[in-house]
Amino acid sequence: MGKKTPKSPQRSIAKSPGPGPAVAPSSSSVSKKSKSKKKKPSSPYAESPLHDLLHTFERAPDQWAARYILILTAIILRGVVGLGSFSGESQAPINGDFEAQRHWMELTIHLPIDQWYFYDLPYWGLDYPPLTAFHSFICGKIGSFINPKWFALDASRGLESSGLKTFMRHTSLISELFVYFPALLGFIAFVGKKLNLSRIDQIVISGIIMCQPSLILIDHGHFQFNSVMLGLFLFSFTDLCKGNYLLASVWFVCCITFKQMGLYYAPFIFSFLLSVCFTNINETKGTGKGTVISVLKSLSFRRLFSIGITVILTFITILAPFIYFASTRDVQSTLLQILIRVFPFQRGIFEDKVASFWCTTNLIIKYRTLFTQDQLAKLSLLVTLISILPPCTMIFYKNLFSRTFSNQKSSANKYLALIYGFAATSWGFYLFSFQVHEKTVLVPLLPSTLLYLTADAEAASICQWINNFAVYSMWPLLQRDGLTLQYIITLALSNFLIGSKAILPKNIIWKIIIVLSYIAAFSIHAIEIFVPPLSKYPDLWVILNTTVSFGCFGIFWLWLLYKMYQL
Amino acid sequence: MEKPRVEKKGSKKKKKSVSTSVRSPSPVRPTISSQGPDEVKQYSLFNIWGVTFALKALLFFGYHSTDFDVHRNWLAITHNLPVSKWYVEDTSQWTLDYPPFFAYFEWALSHLVPKFVADDGCLDIVEVGQYGKPTILFQRISVIASELVLFAALQWYMKSSANTYTSRSRAYVVASSLVLSPGLLIIDHIHFQYNGMMYGIFILMLTCARLEKYLMCGAWFSILLCFKHIYLYVAPAVFIFLLRAYCLNLKYDKSKPFLTNILSLVKWWNLIKLGSVVLSIFAVAFGPFVYYQVIPQLVSRLFPFSRGLTHAYWAPNFWAIYSFFDRLLIHIYKQIPISRSVLLKIFQFNPELLKMDELVNSTTRGIVGDIEFLILPAISPKLTFLLTLFYQIMALIPLFLQPTYGRFIGSITLCAYASFLFGWHVHEKAILLVIFPVSLIVSRDKRLLGPFNLLISCGYVSLFPLIYTSSEWVVKVFYTLLWYIIYYFNYRKVVKIPKNTTGESGGFILERVTNGYILGLGFIIILVSLIDLFESKFELLRRLEFMKLMIMSVYCGVGVISSWNGFSWLYFVDESIWE
Repeated sequence: MGKKTPKSPQRSIAKSPGPGPAVAPSSSSVSKKSKSKKKKPSSPYAESPLHDLLHTFERAPDQWAARYILILTAIILRGVVGLGSFSGESQAPINGDFEAQRHWMELTIHLPIDQWYFYDLPYWGLDYPPLTAFHSFICGKIGSFINPKWFALDASRGLESSGLKTFMRHTSLISELFVYFPALLGFIAFVGKKLNLSRIDQIVISGIIMCQPSLILIDHGHFQFNSVMLGLFLFSFTDLCKGNYLLASVWFVCCITFKQMGLYYAPFIFSFLLSVCFTNINETKGTGKGTVISVLKSLSFRRLFSIGITVILTFITILAPFIYFASTRDVQSTLLQILIRVFPFQRGIFEDKVASFWCTTNLIIKYRTLFTQDQLAKLSLLVTLISILPPCTMIFYKNLFSRTFSNQKSSANKYLALIYGFAATSWGFYLFSFQVHEKTVLVPLLPSTLLYLTADAEAASICQWINNFAVYSMWPLLQRDGLTLQYIITLALSNFLIGSKAILPKNIIWKIIIVLSYIAAFSIHAIEIFVPPLSKYPDLWVILNTTVSFGCFGIFWLWLLYKMYQL
Repeated sequence: MEKPRVEKKGSKKKKKSVSTSVRSPSPVRPTISSQGPDEVKQYSLFNIWGVTFALKALLFFGYHSTDFDVHRNWLAITHNLPVSKWYVEDTSQWTLDYPPFFAYFEWALSHLVPKFVADDGCLDIVEVGQYGKPTILFQRISVIASELVLFAALQWYMKSSANTYTSRSRAYVVASSLVLSPGLLIIDHIHFQYNGMMYGIFILMLTCARLEKYLMCGAWFSILLCFKHIYLYVAPAVFIFLLRAYCLNLKYDKSKPFLTNILSLVKWWNLIKLGSVVLSIFAVAFGPFVYYQVIPQLVSRLFPFSRGLTHAYWAPNFWAIYSFFDRLLIHIYKQIPISRSVLLKIFQFNPELLKMDELVNSTTRGIVGDIEFLILPAISPKLTFLLTLFYQIMALIPLFLQPTYGRFIGSITLCAYASFLFGWHVHEKAILLVIFPVSLIVSRDKRLLGPFNLLISCGYVSLFPLIYTSSEWVVKVFYTLLWYIIYYFNYRKVVKIPKNTTGESGGFILERVTNGYILGLGFIIILVSLIDLFESKFELLRRLEFMKLMIMSVYCGVGVISSWNGFSWLYFVDESIWE
């Protein structure tokens, strides 16, 4: 009975790539089916140049080499992008994120820990959570060991020597190497197996994700440490998939205490963790009546408690240095100051032009004249909550009541739902919340990029499309940073690697959307080059850019919700 | 009279193709795309080109050496001046010192310079180039574009390989290893030169030789020589090969009179054809300069003998080790008083010179004075020339006796080795001239792999000091490592394992030693990088500035010389590889 379920995982994966035998209903066992699927080259990556380049390492004994090759390639790519300029290079006295990160390294190694969040706040005061501060501390110590001038207190402000630049580039490279890469490879290895991906496909997908332009350009061009936050999230995600919920919550707390943007994932992870404290209706059936009441009764307080305690303990551990080493100030004010610095609610609803709902609709509705700052904050909170409600409730409901989500079934739907859900929730935040930066697109982009793992031709195309638009939406920022060459080349490379066949999906509606959006993006670029900015609307090209991007993100977000609903 | 000879030649040809292709006896022939189901997958270099293009493009605005300004200056000279002035002009110290075809190439390139690049100062004859991003963009792109010659040549090389799975995959490994060569990336795309195009022509020449298109082979080689005269290093091998395989006929027919035999010793028609092709190419190249009577200036530009024995950074050759011993002996002489009389007696040098600190501490003494060695005997250009010639002749004798493609490549390799190891003022970049030909035949026998691994690892690592900037460190080191990992395995995968496995145990130990040595190279890189890293911190390390270069070139020099010994051994002892 169980085997005839209409949504067996193998079928849902094999649906789109080709009208092969996998779609035809058959009474054969699941394992047999998956075998027959493996035989035919259904993967959308089979004809990609990346596959062509790596196919010599297809055999099992050589696969470890392929892994190292990918990692080395990724390092080289990041190193080469790092030759470009960083944010605010030679733009004293304001500079940019590079100087901010350097300044944090400088101040953390020279000041006692309880002054970190108080020191000279107008000049790039520390406004990231504690783990970033600790990370800066370690990097600063190492850098200062190599050359103390780079991080001399106050004297080093605005320093841009080539040695320092190289050192900083290496800090982000090594951080990524130790956090993001193992996390990503671990995730792909685990979920890839669950999704019945062939090894070579896993390798190709790892390659594609590692060459993702957005992250490379922001971390190694613009200069930030997003990869650490995203890597910590991926560790958490992997453990969620494996069912190690306690470890997952430790990783997740690390993620949000590295960078507060990780909170975009929080509602979804919360609702998922809450749902796993209950037992699926199909499992309670065996013991008693499979009713809603029995499901609700099955709440495991032990699990809920242990997750809660783990989260609290992790927070305490991370904050412990601030409590333990506090000498000049009382603990309370330090902790409060961290909170104030990390969540700057006094800033506006959006700063630069960004592809969010507020910035885009601001063209028609002038929010700033209609509402006060406070009202706007509340309004955006409300809209954000509404936008994240669907994925959060869906995962909760499905985990409790859907048959394919029960532990008895070896279904991949659970993993897919997690990917869709994380993506949808974080896109909800990106599109509708308060104070969004263009760089924040990296947060929703990561789970969206993981959709390459579905090895479905349509999903791969859409994924590539949204990746391209994520980079495109950051174009004004990258242009300001002087990363035009890097922007063009990394974008071209990532699209080249995945192959021309994967650019457009078969579905006609998607084809139209994607083609139109590409045309729009290209023509906006062309206009930008050939038409000087109008004196009346100096930001017009940027606004066009964000509007098109917003359209794409919005459509993608709706698609994610639809796909999640379908599972 | 003619018939039997032709038949004999035909049968020989067939025999050769049997031995080169492992499974199928079909002759070497370019394949046509529409063939039967037997057609083996034809590999393409396009995807590699795509990926490496991205890498090279991202390197655009990174470090480039003074060679960039050199080439920019040549663009300016050839664009602004009449042909007669090209080799006379000396506003900048970077005078034109490549043969005429390269000058023509720069001239052609200079006409492609768009206006915004010219406005940037790309075409100004000035002492020191004043240029910005547009010029860099233009010249970098010109390197990438001219490198297409190499891609095309190697694509042809792959296409002309036998239609079997083994030979196709071998050709692909060879071709991809060459286009991806870290040497080319470091020298062309970071340091800045146009080697990609040169080696493209070089490969064309070698492929012509394999396909027994001797006339084309001669033509391509003459063109190559007129582009860059460093290829004179291998000219003896090409000369002997073409002479023996195309122009001579060493068959003594007893049925005919002695005089006829003497006359038919030379294939006159072939000789005339080849001679006229080569001469006309040289005429095109040098004709205008003969006409304007600037040949003496041209020659003095091409062969500047005023330079020292070693370059500022020692190329990893015999003289690096020689210099190292000189320095070692100086230290021994200074530190251990007892050794003094012994040293004086053996080497009979002038001890007064050792008291001049300035002389002892200078890094390249060739610049300071004419004395390069304080204890060991001085080396004259004549000696280096004779040594080179001797080892080249040694390599040429087997080629003369057995003018096959394999021997040809082998002798080209050994000629390049001899020039590299014993030549006067050799640049470290010349190692590519050894690596490129040898890559083409290394898959013929597993025993070649040991020396080959040694050669490529030492050769490429010895290029690292060319790029001394810290920001490119990741690229040069990791790219070379990546390349090495990929091709260490791929060459092992496609290499032919010889049937007679005698002397395996000796080979096994040798392989271990080789691998240990290559691992040691990693430590050397780490050591040198650490010295670089902490230079600003510790005064002591700054004084080691020269030391780290010396460590590098001596360690690599040992490897290169060992690999040369390995190849020479196989070249002279084992006949089966070179057929």
